[in-house]
This record gives sequence, structure tokens and C-alpha cells, in this order.
Amino acid sequence: MNWKTVLRLISIDIKSSRLIRGTRLGSILENKVLTTVLYVGACICGAIVGWLIGNFYSGVPDPALKEAIFKGATSLFVTFPTLALIYGLVFTQMSQIQRIGVKVSIQPLYWYPITWGEHTLASIIANLIGAPLIITVFICSSILVASAFLGLIALAVCTVLALMGSLFTASITTEIVKVLQVRVSGAVTKVAGRTAVWVRLLGTIIFLIVFYLVYFTLVYGASFTALIESMAGGQRILWFIPYLWFGITLSAIVNGLNFEAVIFALTSIGFIYALFVAAVRLNAKFGLYEAPSITISRGTYTPKTGLLGKLGFSSLEAAIMRKDFKAFTRRRELMYIFIMPIVFILMPIVSSIRGTADTMPSIFSKFLFVYIALLPGTLMAVSIGSILTGSEGESIWYVHASPVSAKSYVKAKYFFTVFFSLAVTVICILFAAVWTAPSLRTVLIGFFEAFLLVLALSMVSLSFGIKGADFRELPRPRMIRPLWSLINMAICLALALAIISPMIPYAVKILFESIFLPIDLSTIISESYLYSALFLSAIIATIIFFTFYRITVKNAETLLSSAGG
Amino acid sequence: MELEASVHLHAVKLMGVSKRYGNVTAVEYIDLEVGKGEIVGLLGPNGSGKSTTIKMILGLVKPDTGSVNVLGINVKEDPIGVKRKIGYVPESPRIYEFLTGLEFLDFTGDVYGMAPDEKKKRIEEFVKALDLEGREGDMISSYSEGMKQKVVIISALMHKPQLLLLDEPLSGLDPKSARIVKDLLRELASQGVTTIMSTHVLEIAQAMCDRIAIMYNGRLLALGTMQELREKAMMPESRLEDIFLKLTGTGDVKPIVEALMK
Ligand SMILES: Nc1ncnc2c1ncn2[C@@H]1O[C@H](COP(=O)(O)OP(=O)(O)O)[C@@H](O)[C@H]1O
Ligand SMILES: [Mg+2]
Repeated sequence: MNWKTVLRLISIDIKSSRLIRGTRLGSILENKVLTTVLYVGACICGAIVGWLIGNFYSGVPDPALKEAIFKGATSLFVTFPTLALIYGLVFTQMSQIQRIGVKVSIQPLYWYPITWGEHTLASIIANLIGAPLIITVFICSSILVASAFLGLIALAVCTVLALMGSLFTASITTEIVKVLQVRVSGAVTKVAGRTAVWVRLLGTIIFLIVFYLVYFTLVYGASFTALIESMAGGQRILWFIPYLWFGITLSAIVNGLNFEAVIFALTSIGFIYALFVAAVRLNAKFGLYEAPSITISRGTYTPKTGLLGKLGFSSLEAAIMRKDFKAFTRRRELMYIFIMPIVFILMPIVSSIRGTADTMPSIFSKFLFVYIALLPGTLMAVSIGSILTGSEGESIWYVHASPVSAKSYVKAKYFFTVFFSLAVTVICILFAAVWTAPSLRTVLIGFFEAFLLVLALSMVSLSFGIKGADFRELPRPRMIRPLWSLINMAICLALALAIISPMIPYAVKILFESIFLPIDLSTIISESYLYSALFLSAIIATIIFFTFYRITVKNAETLLSSAGG
Repeated sequence: MELEASVHLHAVKLMGVSKRYGNVTAVEYIDLEVGKGEIVGLLGPNGSGKSTTIKMILGLVKPDTGSVNVLGINVKEDPIGVKRKIGYVPESPRIYEFLTGLEFLDFTGDVYGMAPDEKKKRIEEFVKALDLEGREGDMISSYSEGMKQKVVIISALMHKPQLLLLDEPLSGLDPKSARIVKDLLRELASQGVTTIMSTHVLEIAQAMCDRIAIMYNGRLLALGTMQELREKAMMPESRLEDIFLKLTGTGDVKPIVEALMK
């Protein structure tokens, strides 16, 4: 193993992941000084926290309490390795997910004299740079400083070592999962044949849902202290899981079981080594694996006459819509869009499970209905509208060269956004209706408002999506320039509030009618208010729609008539 | 009738067309007339303005001065009408990789409003002729560069355009397919289809084109048949390569080669 090569590969990886993220944060981190400041800052913050804890401990007069704190600290130390394992896995998987759709990865430079061992090690370490390492620096410095006051230096040093080991294990695991994922999905593609596209879409969505479910459960779900308590005791029962061996080593040290501690320490090191060897072997075998091409049709070709033609779309408009539909079901970076509504539904579910499982308070359930009915569909419209033009990528020359008029272009892109977002809205409303059991009237009102939001905001974000389109595809499809994306979101937020504003008094009345209020709202907000509010909402949405229709067509004219100046 | 005919005499007419990008003059006051059924080659070194000229004919780039007229239509006034009559192959094209070759061609047929039967017939013929059979149902992401180029060429030809604008069309093609495309262009020319193609490969220009336009630094240095170019360069027996090197003033390459060999 040539360490210089490994270091060089790591620095290449860091640079390329900055390019991939392409965020402004990336360019801040580019600055070596600032990077150093981040790590040193984490170290100093950790030290301060450790110092505060230590001082607090020293200041406690009651020996019983002191004893309790001491015990608590040791059991906390014991849990750190497993904790590091979990956040290590979450963050390294997250960075893998960020790379979905990246065109040029830092492929193993197989024509260079680099061994697979060097390549794998570099990839494992590079994965940890950033959030996982900063968190680790923070934890380690606070442990070390606090332990000086508690007189636990030896244990603290062991904890730091075990924590590093766990973090490393997490990253190796992610590396192994990465290689296997490519290989397995390739095999599935081969077996699935025509249905490969759908299998891939479903597989990606399920993977992301599971990931976010775990993530939200960790972040919002099970209470943190309960987790630590159960881990401190539970680790030893699960001794046969190698991933926990670092934690078990520590708890053996705490309990003075020296022989057990030595055994588990040695086996943990053996485990890391075995895992690393497995990762290297897998990389050597499948690292250059090219997924087989997906064959979608065989045999004779028969042109389809679609449903869209009957709905009043010209063959050109229908063709563009069909092409975009295929893009969203086949391009992995666009599939990401699908999980957004699912995540929005998952978040409140997970956080409501955390509370008592009794009947939901009615305000909460009403609020939840509004949230699920309006938010996912509207967000879908805003995000699809804003990336739909940029998603053409470098193939945009084809649109430029085609006999497509600005109006046709806008029509095809607009209705694609609307159809997609409305489908999401309907599914979400059905889901919310089953879950929170609102009155039929509430459902209809919710649908009406969601409908208005989707119709108006699709056009708004389409216009910004054209204006701010970014067709660059390397290293990652950009779709829209960040500034225009922000402008779009801000304006859509303001306009969404404008559209629903007439309904706000009514919503307040519905939400709080069961609660005592100083004024009797029902006399002020009568039935007829509801209908005029709905009407007013519709008018505002219509005005927004037509205003932005003009702007969008103008933007599309500019887009279509100028390729490269 | 007479008037109608004279208006349509030219397939493409550029008058005093120029285009600047900041300080770079990509194209400088070009006048060019291309007759119907003619194959004209734009020949010039890299950066001489060939691609820019083609894009201006298609209406993708707006000229700073002058006017472009295609098949009797002013490009500025009816850009979509013009695009409908043109088949275009850009240089190193990127196409929708998530579609299959067949889906992309089907898409093209719909974009140009072809009838389903005709679309089917044309696609099947072309796929067969250019040896794409068996792979047409695979996603384009798995195609080689040459196969992608073939798909783009088919998409430019299949809707029976009256004018073909081909930017380095034969780069990346295997010899057999290149030959088929060459023969096809000749055949189309005899049916009145006009072709303007850019290339920096002299042999292709000499073998395929009725007339050759030599471009250099955004200017049109010479335009004519091989014979006319020879006369202009006063090199009666020469090959195109020597004429080209003489006209572009880059004739003496010996010192360069010697310097490189050191
Ligand atoms: N979009 C553009 N922006 C800036 N400069 C350009 C652009 N397109 C072309 N140019 C410049 O114009 C000149 C002519 O380019 P081009 O027409 O592509 O030449 P050719 O196709 O003959 O190689 C070159 O110097 C090139 O750098
Ligand atoms: Mg060029």
C-alpha cells in the first residue's frame, strides 16, 4: 500500500464531491483556512463542553449525586462507538445518495498504477470527511477534556479509539453496499428485461423510503436517552453482532472484565480487517462492472396513438410529454422527486408515533389534513416546474432545432407538471382522508385549494425554470441555477399565501372552534363567507396564472430562439 | 409563376452575415448562395466559423448583421417554418440517453408531425440500412458514439427535409455506414434536397461536394467547384490539400513539423 497514492486519491475525491454538490457551501469549504477553522472549531467547542461538564462535576457537593454522574458518564462512553456506527452509516449513505445521477464518477483509474487496496482505502476515508469527521472531532475532544475531571482518562482514550474504529466500520460497510448495489441491480436488470425500468424505479424508491424512515426515526423518533439506556445494557446481549464489538469491549473495560476486553478488542480489529479485505475483493471483482443495457422493446415496432391526442394535444406536444414522463421514470436523479411527497407523509407519522398513541387531538388531525392535502402536491408542482426545462440537459439542442413554438413548448411542459402534481395531490388527499377522517366538506375544500395552488404555481415555477435553466450535465445535471431556484421558491411561497389567504379566517375558525375564544367566530365567519372566500381564492389564482403565462411564453421564446448567444 | 420560381431558386442565401462573440469574430460578412439540390461543403480549420454559420442558417444563432433566407423564407420572420424544412446534425450531439433508439426516432417523427405509417416505414428502413437492427430497443445510454451519431443522422433524414445542415456528420461512423450516408446524400441531391455540411476532412469534401467553401478566421476565402478553386489558387494540377493550405496561408508546415520533432 502506497500511502502517498491513497492521500492523493482522497484529495481527488474531496474535490470531485465538492463539484458534485456544487453548492456555495462547497466553495466556502474549498478555502483551506475555513476547512481548518471548521475542524478546529469543532475541537474547541467539544473541549468547552467537556470543560463545562467537568467543572459541573467537580462542583457537585453531594457524593451520591457525584457517584450517579460518574456512572452515567461511563455508560455514556460505552454507547459512543455504536452511536458513531449509526451516524457514520447515515452520513456515508447520504453522500452516496447525493451522487445519484452523477455522470462521471471518480472511476477507479484502472489504467494508472493504483492497486484496489489503495483505491478502496481512499474511498472509505474520503467518505468520512465532512460531517461524520467533524462530529467525531467534537465528541472526542469533549470526552477527553471531561474525562480529565472525572479521572477516566484511560477509558476516554479507549472510547476515542473504539469510536474511530466504529466510524471506519460504517464507512467500509457503505463501500461494500455500494459495490453490491451496482452488481445486484445489474443482475436484476438482466433478469427483469422489459420491466427493468419499473423494477429500478421501485427499487430506488423503496431504498430511499427505508433510508429516510430510519433517518427520521433516529432524528425525531425514539427518544434519545431511551436509546442510550437500552444500548448500554443491550449491547452485551447482542454480542454475536460484530458491529457491536467495539462497544462491548468498552463495557468490559468499565466492568473490569479484562480478559473479555482483550478478546473483544482483538476480534474487533479482526473484524475491521476482514471487512476491509472483503471490500477490496468486491471492488476488484465488480468495481469496473458495467451494468447491462436495458432492452425495452423487441420485435416489430408499432407506433402508438396515445390518449393525449384525444385530449387536444398536438402530436408534437404529446411527444414531448411522453418523453418527459419517460425521463422521470428512468433517470435516477429525477426519480428523487417521487420520494418527496412520501417523505412529507412519513415525517408527521414518525413524529406522531413518538407521542402517545391515543386518539389524536382534533386540532392536530385537522392541521395534519391541511398539511398533507396541500403541501406535497404543491411542492411537486414547484419543483417539477422549475427543473423541467433544465432537465433537457445538453440535449437541449434538439428542442432548439425542432419546429416547436413557444406556446406549444409551454403547453406541453405545463400540463406535464400539472398532471403529475395533481396525481400526487389526489393520492395524498385520499391518504390524509383515510388517516385523519375529516368531513367530506373539508376534503372537497382541501382539494379545491390544492387544485388552485397546483394550477397557478406550476406556471410560475415553469417561467423561472426556463429563465434560470442550467443545461450543464457534468459532473451532475444541474437543471436550474441555485439563485433562480431560490427566487422561484420565495415567489411561489408568497403567491401560495396569496391564493390561500381568503381561506385563512375560515381555517382559523375550523381549527379553533372547539377551543374557547374571546369572540364568537361563527357569527363573523358564516357559510356565505366560505363560498366567497373560495371564489376569491380562485380569482387570485387565475390572475397569477395568466400573468405568469405571458411571462413564461416570453421566456420560452427567448429560450427557443437563441442557442449560445 | 416566373417570379415564384426565381424566389425559390436558392435553397439558402446569406447576405452580409456576421456574428461576434465578445471580442471574437466568429463569422465576418459572409455572402453565400446555395442552389437547390446542391451539396456544399464548408471547409476550414477548427474555430473558423463553420458551426456558427450552420447555426445561423438554422436560426439558432442570431446574426449581428445581414440576413438569412432559407427556401424563400426569411429565418428571422418565420423561424419555425424554416426549422420544419431542415434536418440538422450538430457536431458531437448529445441525445436523450434514457430513451431507446427506437423511442427517440418515434419521438422525432411525432415532433415533425409524420403520419404513423410513414414514420414506421422510414424508421425501419433506416435502422436496417445503418446496421442498428437488434439494438434499436436498447437504451441509448448503452450505445457507442458511432451508434449515437447514426441515430442522430436518421432523425435528421427521416422526416424528409428539403435542406440538410450537417456539422461534421461522418465523424465517428464506420466506413460502411459513412459510405451509405454519402450515397444517400447524393441520391437525395438528385431529388432536389440541398445539403450543407461542414468538415475539416479534405477527402470528404473533395469526394462528396459539388462546391466547396473554404473558411478561415470567420471569412469566406473561396467558393467554387474543385476546378474553380484550382484556378483561383493558380495550382492547376493540385490536390485540395495543397490548395487549402495555400489559400489559408498555412502552407509552410515544414518548420512546425521540424520543431515538433526536436
Ligand atoms: N457560444 C459561443 N460563445 C463564444 N464564442 C464562441 C461561441 N461559439 C463559437 N465561438 C467562437 O467562434 C469561433 C468560431 O467557432 P465555430 O463556428 O464553432 O468554428 P468551427 O465550427 O469552424 O470549428 C471560435 O473562435 C469560437 O471560439
Ligand atoms: Mg464546428
